[in-house]
Amino acid sequence: MRHPSEGVLRRLLDEPAGVSDADRRHVAGCAACLAGLAAAREDAALAGAALRTDRAADADPAAAWQRLSVALPARPATPAATTPAAAPARRRAGWLHRPAAAVLAAVVVLSGAGVAAATDWLPIFRTEQVAPLEVSTDDLVALPDLTAYGDVAVTGDDGPRQVADAAAAEAETGLDVPGVGDLPTGVEGEPAYAVVGELSGVFTFSAEKAAAAASASGEPLPPLPAGLDGAQVRLTAGPGVAAVWTQPSGLPSLVVGRAVAPQAFSSGVPFETVQDYLLSLPGLPEDLAAQLRGFTADGSTLPIPVPADLVETSAAEVGGLPATVLESRDQALAAVVWVEDGVVTLVGGSLGPDEVLDVAAELR
Amino acid sequence: MDLGRSGPGGPAAALAAALPRGGGGVLAGRTRRADGAAGRAVAVRPDLEQVFRADYRWVVATAARVLGSRDEAEDVAQEVFLAFSRTTVPAGEARGWLSVAAVHTALNVLRSGRRRATREAATAVDEPAADVADTVVGRDEHSRLRALLVRLPHKQSAALVLRHSGLSYAEIAEALDMAPGSVGTTIRRAESALREEWVRHASSE
Repeated sequence: MRHPSEGVLRRLLDEPAGVSDADRRHVAGCAACLAGLAAAREDAALAGAALRTDRAADADPAAAWQRLSVALPARPATPAATTPAAAPARRRAGWLHRPAAAVLAAVVVLSGAGVAAATDWLPIFRTEQVAPLEVSTDDLVALPDLTAYGDVAVTGDDGPRQVADAAAAEAETGLDVPGVGDLPTGVEGEPAYAVVGELSGVFTFSAEKAAAAASASGEPLPPLPAGLDGAQVRLTAGPGVAAVWTQPSGLPSLVVGRAVAPQAFSSGVPFETVQDYLLSLPGLPEDLAAQLRGFTADGSTLPIPVPADLVETSAAEVGGLPATVLESRDQALAAVVWVEDGVVTLVGGSLGPDEVLDVAAELR
Repeated sequence: MDLGRSGPGGPAAALAAALPRGGGGVLAGRTRRADGAAGRAVAVRPDLEQVFRADYRWVVATAARVLGSRDEAEDVAQEVFLAFSRTTVPAGEARGWLSVAAVHTALNVLRSGRRRATREAATAVDEPAADVADTVVGRDEHSRLRALLVRLPHKQSAALVLRHSGLSYAEIAEALDMAPGSVGTTIRRAESALREEWVRHASSE
């Protein structure tokens, strides 16, 4: 098969659901295309860093409206909006229907509760080029779009936003922002603080859609458990906060993040039933399925889809708690993640595993 | 947002009526000329304030991606909303329209060189707390990369900024009147050019 174009590889990064199954399968098994995908991701991250506009959020709409009002030729007698809240509602509906959002929701639902934290934070990490630590190229390439099996709705925060300092971050999220002791060598200056609100995703299983998808893929739909049709799974994650130190290249030198651990709620049938059935669907990669089987519904574990081609994992301890250490195979990035009392904490960056563990051990 | 509802030609056509391409004229001036040619006063749309308050920061952020300066981005936002006030774009489709308008206008500002050296200087003095973006990509590098935005083909730079502002590929295709299949390639080329510029700069130091 011919290689997909560079444009197709680029779209895989943003809208994998917009790329054909044939192309996704090809890329998943093609070293040259995976290398092209990695190069595209690097260039996209650099462009993202170059085009960042953190301080734009400081703009004052009220003052700007005053300024515009002066420039306007004439004001109508009744300037009040005739359809209150119509614009935001419409905007949100549009966002929900984007393929990228649907895939996001698929990630949330498919991986049980755990990866929702990573998904919630993906905009931060993608900007900072840490995305390979959360979602593997294989996940991006082969993850089925769950809208084929039901309805997906994501609600919640519009994305991470910058706040002035740790106190503001604490006020917005209700989380204790971890204080860092001695900064590792090469990490300097003050961090930027970002917060995200709670993200909630609802997946409503549809037997009709699932049957249609199965017949389209030429594979039989596994027998449907009783009550699954119309069953809903709701997953929540966040709020969360991140402190990010950056270096001139645009890579994060250090990221310290903390979020309320994700939780799963179901109606009609137990979450495990929905999860098991999703795992049995045709097209689910075996390695991802194997990871999913270890997940629990209560959010007490931290399943992270680890891209084995990019990241090595090992076990460690932080403050007596079990933790997972991730290190990219090129040794450019390392991170440690752990869960305590329903709160996920991550320390990562362009550091070595020893350095992130040192920072983690000294968090206040 | 659903850019597909803007009718034939989509937002690109709508913008062509409201925004200048190239050149350095002030948008408000051009719009007034257009109004004059039409020979009638144009009423301000009643939902303007609602849309303004909902999307003002978004428009500033989009323009700031191009200009790197919030103050200049706020100037662009004024022009964009002034133009928007004279359109009949439905409120539900406002953000898509505004995004494209912000990118076109900001790129035009960059191209025409109607930038304010005095403001840039004042910004540097008045804002010792450096922009976070400046710590990621230094202020000099930002200027260099922004200069490259101007040298890129218009569609490449516009697609690049719109993508990094969060528009979907379908929305970008509609907004820039492109074939949907060519959006990825266009963005990829722009990002590749940015990378080359970055490497060239780094190796020259």
